[in-house]
Amino acid sequence: MPLGLIMAKIFVDNIEYEVPDGKNLLEVCLSLGFNLTYFCWHPAMHSVGACRQCGVINFKDENDKRGRLVMSCMQAATNGTRISIEDPRARAFRAGNIEALMLNHPHDCPVCDEGGECHLQDMTVMSGHNYRRNTFKKRTHYNQYLGPFINHEMNRCIQCYRCVRFYNDYAGGKDLAVFAAHDDVYFGRQEEGVLENEFSGNLVEVCPTGVFTDKVLRKHYTRKWDLTSAPSVCHQCSLGCNILTSERYGGIRRILTRYNGDVNGYFICDRGRFGYEYTNSDQRIKQPSKNTDNSSQPLSTEDALHDVKDSIFSKKNIIGIGSPRASLESNFMLKELVGENNFYGGIPKRESDLVHRVISILHQGKVKTPSLKEVESYDAILILGEDVTNTAPMLALAVRQAAKNQPREKAYALRIPQWDDAAVRESVQGQTGPVYLLTTHHTKLDEIATKAEYAAPDDIAITGFEIVQQITRLSQSANGDESSQSFTASVARDLLKAKKPLIISGTSLYNTAIIQAAANIAYSLKDNGKDAGLVYAVPEVNSMGMSMLEQKNLDDAIGRAKEGGVDAVIIAENDLYFRVDRDIANDFLKNCHHVLVLENLQNETTTKADYILPAGTFAESTGTVVNNEGRAQRFYQVYKPSNEMRSSWDWLNEIRNSISGVHAENFDAVVDEMIKKYPELAKVKSVAPDANFRKGTQKIPRETARYSGRTAMLANINVSEPKPPVDKDSPLSFTMEGYQGVPPSPDVPFFWSPGWNSVQSINRYQTEVGGALHGGNPGVRLLEPSNENKSGYFNQSTEKFSRREGEWLVIPFYHIYGSDELSVKGPALAERIPPVYIAMNGKDLEKGNLKDGDHIEITFNQNKLSISVKSENTLPEGIAGLPKGFKETTGIEFPFWGRIRKV
Amino acid sequence: MESLTNRSKPVDRRPMNLWEKIYLPAVIKGLGITLKHLFKKKATYNFPEQTRPFSPVFRGLHILNRDEEGRERCTACGLCAVACPAEAITMEAAERKPGEEHLYREEKYAARYEINMLRCIFCGFCEETCPKDAIYLTETFAPANYQRKGFIYGKEDLLIPFPEKENQPVTEKP
Amino acid sequence: MSVVFSEKKLNRVKELVSHYPDGKQKSALIPVLHLAQEENDGWLSVEWMDYVAGLLQMTPIEVYEVATFYSMLNTKPIGRYVFEVCQTGPCMIKGSDDIIAYIGEKLGIKPGETTKDGMFTLKKVECLGACGYAPMMQLGKNYREHLTKEKVDAIIEECRKEARQIKEN
Repeated sequence: MPLGLIMAKIFVDNIEYEVPDGKNLLEVCLSLGFNLTYFCWHPAMHSVGACRQCGVINFKDENDKRGRLVMSCMQAATNGTRISIEDPRARAFRAGNIEALMLNHPHDCPVCDEGGECHLQDMTVMSGHNYRRNTFKKRTHYNQYLGPFINHEMNRCIQCYRCVRFYNDYAGGKDLAVFAAHDDVYFGRQEEGVLENEFSGNLVEVCPTGVFTDKVLRKHYTRKWDLTSAPSVCHQCSLGCNILTSERYGGIRRILTRYNGDVNGYFICDRGRFGYEYTNSDQRIKQPSKNTDNSSQPLSTEDALHDVKDSIFSKKNIIGIGSPRASLESNFMLKELVGENNFYGGIPKRESDLVHRVISILHQGKVKTPSLKEVESYDAILILGEDVTNTAPMLALAVRQAAKNQPREKAYALRIPQWDDAAVRESVQGQTGPVYLLTTHHTKLDEIATKAEYAAPDDIAITGFEIVQQITRLSQSANGDESSQSFTASVARDLLKAKKPLIISGTSLYNTAIIQAAANIAYSLKDNGKDAGLVYAVPEVNSMGMSMLEQKNLDDAIGRAKEGGVDAVIIAENDLYFRVDRDIANDFLKNCHHVLVLENLQNETTTKADYILPAGTFAESTGTVVNNEGRAQRFYQVYKPSNEMRSSWDWLNEIRNSISGVHAENFDAVVDEMIKKYPELAKVKSVAPDANFRKGTQKIPRETARYSGRTAMLANINVSEPKPPVDKDSPLSFTMEGYQGVPPSPDVPFFWSPGWNSVQSINRYQTEVGGALHGGNPGVRLLEPSNENKSGYFNQSTEKFSRREGEWLVIPFYHIYGSDELSVKGPALAERIPPVYIAMNGKDLEKGNLKDGDHIEITFNQNKLSISVKSENTLPEGIAGLPKGFKETTGIEFPFWGRIRKV
Repeated sequence: MESLTNRSKPVDRRPMNLWEKIYLPAVIKGLGITLKHLFKKKATYNFPEQTRPFSPVFRGLHILNRDEEGRERCTACGLCAVACPAEAITMEAAERKPGEEHLYREEKYAARYEINMLRCIFCGFCEETCPKDAIYLTETFAPANYQRKGFIYGKEDLLIPFPEKENQPVTEKP
Repeated sequence: MSVVFSEKKLNRVKELVSHYPDGKQKSALIPVLHLAQEENDGWLSVEWMDYVAGLLQMTPIEVYEVATFYSMLNTKPIGRYVFEVCQTGPCMIKGSDDIIAYIGEKLGIKPGETTKDGMFTLKKVECLGACGYAPMMQLGKNYREHLTKEKVDAIIEECRKEARQIKEN
């Protein structure tokens, strides 16, 4: 029987509690709200019993007065368990233990970046160890350079081993290790260098003290208590991980994980954590402006609205171009402003078709798409064509956890509790369950794959359809092809053997057939009685949301402009030069005659605009985005900028007001308008409490109760203190006044609880440790599968890939650092972007008399690109891979046939 | 009810007699008090030429201290700001770069440090909370100013002067 | 000097690996590191550790982890005579700290260091299982027990004498 279903009665300090049977006592005590100290235990990584910090006294029965000391993290809570946390012996033990752990810990809290949100500080105070008696010399270590993201300060280490357990065991990292023994333990790399794992940033949160700290934060350091924070949603890929974005002095200072038990859990990837620096870029557009060919004239908001009304809205045919990185509300307001027929989604047809296909499969198909966290519960996985580590990094982390499920079953069968991490790992011996990869080339997940095969995009789809046939064959005949060792046969066999098989695919190869093949496999598994799941990664944060509003795409708009049917265009948060070829974008903007752009960063599109309005990024705006699962999530404005930046929907609302006098009062009014027009989006209303929400009479403060410097912060600009800005769009306030308790789950601006200043205070916001947040995890799913499967099975419509003489099919390669439009504009992340290359099979290189590093010139549709080649022998012959979204490859529409010539 | 100080006097509401009605004695008595004060020690000081003696625990204008080698002690930990009941202190931290070791004592320092003296109540919590002995309240008080802006004290106003010439640590002197 | 095992030692490695199930060749790491140490004057250079990593299909960092963990595996060159003084509880109570300090003072080195002439290395190690004879140390393959300052003097002299004899021969 799964854990958590049977309840057990336990006694803590002689008071009876009812708790889930079989969980460990530490989890149980924290869930009950006790203050119990710990270091090595982590809710996502469970117990190893290494730090000895969670000692409690365990009594045999009510007559046992003596009891014995046990580590609560290594002891199951079973019926009748009696423990005492407050027993003086237990208290003395914990205080003594922390004193020993702290022997070598430096007294540098004022200098340390962790100070004020340090688990070690919290635990020290909690244990009651106040004064250090040790007067000996402390051991010291050299620190390593660990790349642009993480700062290393080894002297602060208290040897809890959480870093290597996360980095190696949880995230599959290879370059962090622990060296030496006893009082000389060292956590680091074998030599100085960049920490390579995509999830290294989580070390900042996992480390209970300041050994690993945020190097990007360090450049503009601010204490936790001084940050103005808001609940937000990561905009750097389609998964919509929940984040906390924090500001001070008008700049974003850092991003932390916002726990969401349904989406990202305790972690986020490095692109999400460190990819925010573009919000502080000097390329930001801060003022409305009117541009002519060679001059730019700043405008006030009133003038801008007036001018826009006169010179854009006096035209007849005005179209709007939405964006997959703008919120639902912004896209909706644009659609309202220009009219149903004049709104075009901001992505080309091939991409738009794919996202529409995904939506219809998830909505009309019969297979459920699991949430990101649920992915971890599947026990057999097939990935079709997606390099998830680079297109949706957190999905790769979830897959790594899911891969451990089948081998772990063996451990559980030996009655090893799930939380006993060391014992479970010992019995698993590094094995992984069935994970099959069918991709175009070697990807990072290959290292955990049962089998990885590489094929051309079309061939991936064809193999996918073959797997469906294999599944049918296997399930129909008892004596099916049991012995075949072919890829398709073993995939089909393992998927059918699993309890919960999962198919992962995505839009990254721009291949509809792959998406259809993935759906077919999931359908056939479902038809065979499996609890199958189907996950698609889509291109951008709100690709799903925008496509729900869009009927026409960018190509339609380009076609219309070419025919002269456009007099003016409004582009909301979209760089057309990132979407389509330069020449096409140039022609389009020229054909549109008048261009109004709402944008947050200067880009090529803004250089062609007549009017620019400064749109806020996720940090300066409020909105709703829909992730790849169809989960609508709210992100909130973090601070009120001192300049004219505001949400795009707000600008469009003002424009509408100046033209027609129709004015939506605030964000909620926009949402109301939207769901009235689009009843299928009705659930967006319930994503988060509306702006009228009050706890008692109080709003939820964005600033902590200890926020400092309010009367001095802005005094150098203006001595008289202005009234604090009012947020009419959300239940959050921009000040430190307001409700100090646990707010509704979508509106948690920071995690803090008395005595718990570090991120570990998340325990206090959950119904139980590792469970849902109080009031349910944030986000509302808009897409649920239908029972009747309206879309049915897809027919195989692709033909086998055949290579062309002298030409190569160039497909996109994705890079976690580099392929995203905005995150690359931050200096720290930019350091991690690899130099641009074109990857080809070694045999192709030989034929063309090329070798690694040679420069070649690739020609396609009148374009030329000079680039160095790299051999990638897993890539099928006749196919070349080019990184997407790099400076040199911006706007290239993949896939394409190109000719390659040696320079 | 018992009086609080034992110094209260009941109000005398009897009609005035002739002596009192002519007022002159009372006037002379009053002038006498004035005359007496002319020869008393003055209560005022000729500030700023003269200053009042301070109590030994007087808390005046802040300074930011340096260590014995002339390096800034402040490490921008933020404790003074968080302790300040008037929320009058703000700072921005910066990272010490290689080659600046003679300027800043710790690897982190305050790039900007401002006190709003209009808000400051001179309670001394900042001094009390400072873990680095960096901020002290001195015996001077904020000079008058024509503009409110003049009461925003930055690092250049607060930091005590470098004891020696620029870029030359004291220890190098014979 | 090239960093490879001789044919004979390679066979020994093969034999060691065969003790473990298929795919668990990593388990043979410690004995193989001891072999490598014998080849390299009693210590493991980075080249040797990388070589062993290659032999056992591990990443070098995994080998470094093991090599730095055990006090019997040396990652720095060692002297001809290695004083491995036990510092664990019972020995400490019986005065191993003093012994360590005395040896250090006498030889002019700190624990973990080697004398300039390459003769002696002083190391602090964990329990060697001879608590009944505390304080004690291991010298080569022998235990030296019930150490006192005088005994230490004698041991050092004995080592020097032996070294001189070898040199003369």
